[in-house]
Amino acid sequence: MPTVNLDLFNPTEEHTLLRKTVRDFVRTHVEPQALEYDRQERFNLPLFRQLGDLGLLGITVPAEYGGSGMDALAAVIAHEELSASDPGFCLAYLAHAMLFVNNFCHNANADQRQRYLDKVISGEWVGGMCMTEPSVGTDVLGMKSEAIRRGDYYYLNGRKMFITNGALDDATLGNIFLVYARTEKGISSFVVEKGFSGFSLGQRLHGKAGMRASMTAELVFDDCVVPVENRLGEEGDSLLHMMRNLEIERVTIAAMSTGIAGRCVEVMTRYASERTAFGQPINAFGQIQRYIADSYAQYMAARTYLYYTAVRMDLNKPGQRIDSDGVKLVATMMAKQVADNAMQVLGGYGYLGEYVVERLWRDAKLLEIGGGTLEAHQKNITKDLTRRMDLIR
Amino acid sequence: MKTLVTVKRVPDPETTIRVKPDGSGIVTDNIKYVINPFDEIAIEEALRIKEKQGGGEVVLVSIGGKSVTEQLRTGLAMGADRAILVLCEQPLDSLAVAKLLTKLVEKETPELVLMGKQAIDDDSNQAGQMLAALLEWPQATFASKIDFAADQKSATVIREVDGGLETIGFALPAIITTDLRLNEPRYASLPGIMKARKKEIKEIPVADLGADITPRLTVVKMAPPPKKEAGKKVETVQALLDLLHTEAKVI
Ligand SMILES: Cc1cc2nc3c(=O)[nH]c(=O)nc-3n(C[C@H](O)[C@H](O)[C@H](O)COP(=O)(O)OP(=O)(O)OC[C@H]3O[C@@H](n4cnc5c(N)ncnc54)[C@H](O)[C@@H]3O)c2cc1C
Repeated sequence: MPTVNLDLFNPTEEHTLLRKTVRDFVRTHVEPQALEYDRQERFNLPLFRQLGDLGLLGITVPAEYGGSGMDALAAVIAHEELSASDPGFCLAYLAHAMLFVNNFCHNANADQRQRYLDKVISGEWVGGMCMTEPSVGTDVLGMKSEAIRRGDYYYLNGRKMFITNGALDDATLGNIFLVYARTEKGISSFVVEKGFSGFSLGQRLHGKAGMRASMTAELVFDDCVVPVENRLGEEGDSLLHMMRNLEIERVTIAAMSTGIAGRCVEVMTRYASERTAFGQPINAFGQIQRYIADSYAQYMAARTYLYYTAVRMDLNKPGQRIDSDGVKLVATMMAKQVADNAMQVLGGYGYLGEYVVERLWRDAKLLEIGGGTLEAHQKNITKDLTRRMDLIR
Repeated sequence: MKTLVTVKRVPDPETTIRVKPDGSGIVTDNIKYVINPFDEIAIEEALRIKEKQGGGEVVLVSIGGKSVTEQLRTGLAMGADRAILVLCEQPLDSLAVAKLLTKLVEKETPELVLMGKQAIDDDSNQAGQMLAALLEWPQATFASKIDFAADQKSATVIREVDGGLETIGFALPAIITTDLRLNEPRYASLPGIMKARKKEIKEIPVADLGADITPRLTVVKMAPPPKKEAGKKVETVQALLDLLHTEAKVI
């Protein structure tokens, strides 16, 4: 049989170069600020704009629209590398590059792309996506926000909750949002700019357990006036847009999980070889070996599933839900467990911010909630599998 | 201006280097390779020159095995226009490198050759100087700032020398070798990475260049630096002086 010479994690030269660019950038620019921005619950806007200079903000936008023209696997690499250092900052990146830019670019028409893409690819504007509401999350189709058309305008009313990049600081609204709302013919989506009449920052949410370097906000639409030209596709098209974009969102959240876990494995392995107790390095103890080995094996298992899913993913088509849900399900739980293992291996030091895993441990939990809860994935997977038993083996 | 930039593949300075037990070289399994950091500075400078002058060409050259393609592709992703790889598996000393480069310079006729002041693996700091001698071109080593006359026929270089800075002027074509403070190399941007695949890496078998590359030097033995031992703390200056005299025997 011919031997297969595939580096699953870097299948092409471009992927290798991308990983190198992001890793080098992270080492010199992201890592040194991570702890401080987490402690202060602040979003690092200048750093975010540097991602624009590198071409990371338009990573999946085709080159003909001014983007970098890369694929889903490239997006996975970018999130994995950023998250290995600063998951909070990476979440702001994800909300912008995946939830706004990727989503917008795939569903916008030429005029809309012309009006907005430059500003979000460069990072001049920070974007986000509004799906969740104060009283509906998982049950997204129960959303109450509604846009009623009168002439050339829609009047949008409702509240959106937990919106990443909804604010840039305590008082400043983010720049641009893709907002899902009910319309006469079903779920539609709209591009809403800061400055549109009736659109305001309800509150910036403080005191999150983790992901504190990304701002989360409640946004208010009070007879918000949205021109018809800002509707993406036709009325009722956006249920499909939403489902398609949730796939890349889940896969990149899984990539954030492997980023966190990889870093934790690194930290605990090094620490266990340096720390001594009872006259020997703690990695001589079987219980510590179990933390390290189990963590590594679980990390590699999830990572392999992640890249397997990403390599087959076509950003233009839905149809990967079973595995985008599947990989998010295993990878996020794995990351939380591995971060916990790392903290245990580090003992008291692990509980201190300076040793990094404490922050990753807090950040990891969000991944089991945002972009779909574990329970939502379990529900979807069971439903999809029951219909498609052939996918099992 | 057409600039030729030399690129050497070297072990990543972040990796731990281990010497083989028989002292014949270093253990190369599982080590990561990068562009020699000084060469990366040279690439950056060539790109800045091109951007500032609003035109020209940046050509990368390397000598080595097929694996060097990885480093050349990185340089192309940073923005260089094309690359030449002289395929050669045997180890080369600085003179052999300079001779091969002479042949390439004759073929390519650049106005400028930018090189790292040294490669961080062998630390020879000779190839640039030897190339200048063989070509009988002016040279400016350890450059920390480079400027060109408006007609692009001459250059002024500030060099980092022991005890200060030296400014020299000379006519082009010339060889310039880069020092650490010349610039801070850019990252390969994502659009740059996507464009790099379409750029040419021309491979030339070393024999085709017809240079005499017989080694003048042989590596006799490699040994790791002695392990640092833990330091000692002493209470008084006198105790320190005593130890320097009796134990370290340096005074
Ligand atoms: C930091 C952060 C950032 C976020 N960023 C964004 C963003 O940018 N944009 C955005 O739109 N949203 C965002 N969210 C919202 C996130 O997607 C929701 O919190 C998530 O979808 C869950 O919704 P919920 O909080 O309303 O919980 P609920 O849906 O109320 O769920 C509560 C519990 O009930 C369970 N449950 C619900 N339905 C079922 C069911 N059918 N079967 C079994 N169990 C069920 C859930 O799994 C969960 O355990 C963010 C959230 C956080 C915390």
